[in-house]
Amino acid sequence: MLLCSKMKTTKPDTEKSNSPVVEIIHLKKNFKDTKVLKDVSLILEKGETLVVLGKSGSGKSVLIKCIVGLLHPDSGEIKLFGKPITELNRKELDAAREKIGFLFQSNALYDSMTVRKNLEFPLRRTIKKEGRAQIDKRVKEALANVDLAHTIDMMPSELSGGMRKRIGLARCLMVNPEIMLYDEPTTGLDPITAEGISKLMVDMQKKYNSSSIIITHDMKCAQLTATQMMVLIDGLIYAQGTYEELAESKDKKIKSFFK
Amino acid sequence: MTVRSYFQNFIIETGEVSKFAIRFFKEVFAPPYEFKEFLLQCYNVGCKSIPLVGITAFIMGLVVTLQSRPTLIQFGAGSWLPAMASVGIVREIGPVVTALMCAGKVGSNIGAELGSMKVTEQIDAMEVSGTNPFKFVAITRILATTLMIPVLVIFADTLSLFGSFLAANIKGEISISLFFNQVFEKLVFLDVVPSIIKSFFFGFTIGLISCYEGYNSKKGTEGVGKSANAAVVISSLLIFVIDLLAVQITNAFM
Repeated sequence: MLLCSKMKTTKPDTEKSNSPVVEIIHLKKNFKDTKVLKDVSLILEKGETLVVLGKSGSGKSVLIKCIVGLLHPDSGEIKLFGKPITELNRKELDAAREKIGFLFQSNALYDSMTVRKNLEFPLRRTIKKEGRAQIDKRVKEALANVDLAHTIDMMPSELSGGMRKRIGLARCLMVNPEIMLYDEPTTGLDPITAEGISKLMVDMQKKYNSSSIIITHDMKCAQLTATQMMVLIDGLIYAQGTYEELAESKDKKIKSFFK
Repeated sequence: MTVRSYFQNFIIETGEVSKFAIRFFKEVFAPPYEFKEFLLQCYNVGCKSIPLVGITAFIMGLVVTLQSRPTLIQFGAGSWLPAMASVGIVREIGPVVTALMCAGKVGSNIGAELGSMKVTEQIDAMEVSGTNPFKFVAITRILATTLMIPVLVIFADTLSLFGSFLAANIKGEISISLFFNQVFEKLVFLDVVPSIIKSFFFGFTIGLISCYEGYNSKKGTEGVGKSANAAVVISSLLIFVIDLLAVQITNAFM
């Protein structure tokens, strides 16, 4: 592993007051005979944005799907807010997921629901408790955050790619997430829209004081958002550091991302 | 593909469908209940199928009577027409035609919808939102088809009998009261109840197979198409298998 700076990949100092929000220790994941993640360890501290770079098929999406419990690791440990997710039962895992926003590559907006219903969906269990008026207020606020208040009664099929992405982000923000996971948030968007989405992600991170892991190979997005970066090659962490440190690297494989 | 691997795939697939069915029975009674979604699916399966099922059943009743009448008259059994048509309609034509039409309309719809939800990560998004997608997506649809198909069968039987009366009235002179008197005189408990019971199984099979195929759709649009196709083909085939078993069981009681 090429280490450009001292990034935390082992257990944090116990004296630290803040425990990491995400901690991954020696994660391995195979699909039949294909070893996708060979040995990945990382730590995400509160307020940090970790950008994971890697070619297609390098295991980036598998990594964040393991974090949120959509895929089960073959070995290794994943801790969310200090609790190992493999030991959580369904109820506890759902409770942990309430603090996580996940922006899927395909946005994953529910086609059969309006934008309003899409945004209400993560809160459907609490509608009765919180009250309809409060939920409506939160929906409108989330849409205002992404500057798409006028789309509230539209169907996802009526929206452009960029708008769908922003609605997807607004849906993630509905749960006031402590962790945001982005799976290639700017893929398929034109450079201007992609930059707009990246800036929006930074703004929302500040507003909600969340920590983020961003899977991308869009260097502009990485430059705008990253506080730390990690390069994943063939299921292994190849390099780590800040954007500037990696950009100055002489290593051929790292340089190829910055071309 | 060799015969052996084909057979192996068949066994694996049967096992997977059984696991899916067991999961359904394990989770269907456990809270939280997705009642709103269930009602929406009942509307989608039941109300939206009424025109298709109604027209098909009416035509089937009409055609069966028109086709049988000349032969019955030839044998001097013209007066048996209402009884023969009613038994045929209630026992077989109503349930099987309704189930097949629903396998085509509802099964393909569920297979394609769930397939595209799977491919576009909507099912994963539900999981991340703290909603059990199996409960929200699969259980509601399986329950809806299980409960709505028998209702549609009763509706289809009724319209089919009216179609039969129309055919009998066009070709010969028979009043509506005489026709339905003869129909209800000949219909017995073992004609009606088994056909309603088997339609619950038809509905369950359509829901189960369609949801299974959609839920396990492979990546890509081709996978969605295959799921929709498999939902219709396998459901339709199983409807005939269940019908065959139901006839054997009913005959044993008779």
